[in-house]
Amino acid sequence: MPPFLQFLVRRFLVIPLTLLVITMLLYGGVMLTPVEARAQIYMPNTNAKLTEDQIAKLMGNIIERYHLHEPYLVQYSYWVGTFFDGTWGYSPSLNEQVLPALLTRTPATAELTLFSLLFIIIPFGLYAGIIAGWHRGYRDSIFQSVAFFVTSIPPFILALAFLVIFYINLGWFAPERLGIQYSYEVTKDTFASPTGMLLVDSLINGRYDIFIDTLRHLAMPALTLSLYHWATLARITRSAIITQRRKEYIISAQARGIPAGRVLWRHVFRNILVPSLTSVGLSAASLITGVYVVEIIYNLNGVSEIITTAMFSGIPDAPAILGFAVYSVLVVLILMFLLDVIQAVVDPRIHEDMIKP
Amino acid sequence: MRGVNRFFSRWQNWVGIFLLLMYAILALTAPVLSPQDPKKPGPFLVKGQGKERLPQPPSMTNLLGTLPGQVDVFHTIVWGSSNALTFSFTVVFFTSLFGVTYGAVAGYMGGWVNNVLMRIADAFLAFPVIAGVVFFQQLLIMTITTQGGYLWNGMLLGLEDSAGEPILLQILFNLINPLMLSLILFSWMPYSRMINAVVITLKNTEFIQAARALGATPSSVIFHHLIPNSISPAIVLAARDIGNVVLFQATLTFIHIGGNSPWGELLFMGRNWVIGPYGNLFKYWWVFVPATLAVLLFGIAWNIIGDGLSDAISPHEI
Repeated sequence: MPPFLQFLVRRFLVIPLTLLVITMLLYGGVMLTPVEARAQIYMPNTNAKLTEDQIAKLMGNIIERYHLHEPYLVQYSYWVGTFFDGTWGYSPSLNEQVLPALLTRTPATAELTLFSLLFIIIPFGLYAGIIAGWHRGYRDSIFQSVAFFVTSIPPFILALAFLVIFYINLGWFAPERLGIQYSYEVTKDTFASPTGMLLVDSLINGRYDIFIDTLRHLAMPALTLSLYHWATLARITRSAIITQRRKEYIISAQARGIPAGRVLWRHVFRNILVPSLTSVGLSAASLITGVYVVEIIYNLNGVSEIITTAMFSGIPDAPAILGFAVYSVLVVLILMFLLDVIQAVVDPRIHEDMIKP
Repeated sequence: MRGVNRFFSRWQNWVGIFLLLMYAILALTAPVLSPQDPKKPGPFLVKGQGKERLPQPPSMTNLLGTLPGQVDVFHTIVWGSSNALTFSFTVVFFTSLFGVTYGAVAGYMGGWVNNVLMRIADAFLAFPVIAGVVFFQQLLIMTITTQGGYLWNGMLLGLEDSAGEPILLQILFNLINPLMLSLILFSWMPYSRMINAVVITLKNTEFIQAARALGATPSSVIFHHLIPNSISPAIVLAARDIGNVVLFQATLTFIHIGGNSPWGELLFMGRNWVIGPYGNLFKYWWVFVPATLAVLLFGIAWNIIGDGLSDAISPHEI
């Protein structure tokens, strides 16, 4: 097997292993709750008044039927079984199976995450870091203070400020996913939605007005989400650039009379790409946390809707929350894997560096 | 010593120290500055009858004005700083303690043990904190519903009149709230990775070998020699974490997914007077500005301290 493929396979095997560790821990946590609480989830939702005896009998039946009295590993394997039959369990607060509920809400979340990552965080983060680290001087000071300020603002205050400025006073951007005049239109049959992401779908359908409107609604959430991670990535890029500037190959390139811009973008850029992208990969979990927070603040009806529904209903709903946790971990792992692949593609040295740590 | 001088010679660090002292004084003198209502203790104080629906502007009786329902802003800011300091110090103390010990022990053991332990730490890196918060909140809901209580917007209700035997999780959650637990469980990994890398290189140096040759036990080598020599980057991280923890707590409180930051709750209660249909930031500035400044300056102060420490410890890296 070529080393590149070997590296990818090794990285990919991390996903099931991590999932195994995390699901076992999560289910262990659920097993600490009293058995009646876990049986509560399967209780029928009726208005009929039941006597204490009937409830106790019903509870006993449920415990028997769903194997809630069995030892930990047996129950764990039953739960893992639901991952393979495509339901991920039944959620009483959402009143549907967990996996379909997660999948219908995924496009909104994916749109926000990918848009922020690919069009704001990575390009602008790399660019700002490179400019600040290469030129130093006044550009560096400006960048340092902006980055410092941005990392000290919590997302909800940023969101409130954006809403006051851009929504209420200027009226440029708006919260939620789509304006009221389009939100019905995109659910109609004439509007093909193969991906569910409105930015892509509107282009497929040739509806540029919807595309513009989606951007108008995506601007504030994407900015709120991106600023912190933009600053982090740019800082790491900046310090990587500063380390690279002292290397001999730069002096030799300059001595050969290669123009500075060419040295920067041809030679240095490739060398700093790997440490920078590693930083994005490592903060993938906090990026996903940020996505959910931003979704809730701007009312985007993404995956985070599952937790708000489950928490505010007050009904014990372990399947939904467990499903949500496993889903989030899976998303983070896939994101980390994708960034690893990008790294492996941009840096051929990866074979030696990463295969033998 | 040179590092200490370097730290105190930068004017930015004095701004940070000044801000921190301000918060510490606010927190310590809170019972004098704004005594709590003995009937309803807590960070929220309702002035008067609480019947007036409009937020009242600052006056002599309520220094920073009130929110709708006559919740006093000044009182919440003062008690919020005490909450923020205790919350963040507790979280960061336990996170760094566990993370540093874990990383150092793993590095000292070396070999496959180190590999396995660090892979487990990597597995935790893939866990978003928010999923942990809702998960522990869920465990709490499941535990207390069988005891006759219920949870509403993160507050425990109806548990007083239950007569059931308290179980393990209930005792745990009385000591430590779900957000704190989840932050401790899912943010120790950076400390471990940091310490681990240094310990692995330090392990084979002469002074460690000398200590071992003199008969020092593994625990003594780890805690007396390895950790003191590798702790400095972890201290920088801890300083920044204290600020970040409070920002995160306020954020989660604002969206009502766990967390009990009075500052975040203040902004949640006042948000409709800023972005609601009749909201006007310039007219009702006191519902937004004091709490925002409180959160913002807390984060800024700790970031300044973190940057200053990092500069003092390793001046070449900046």
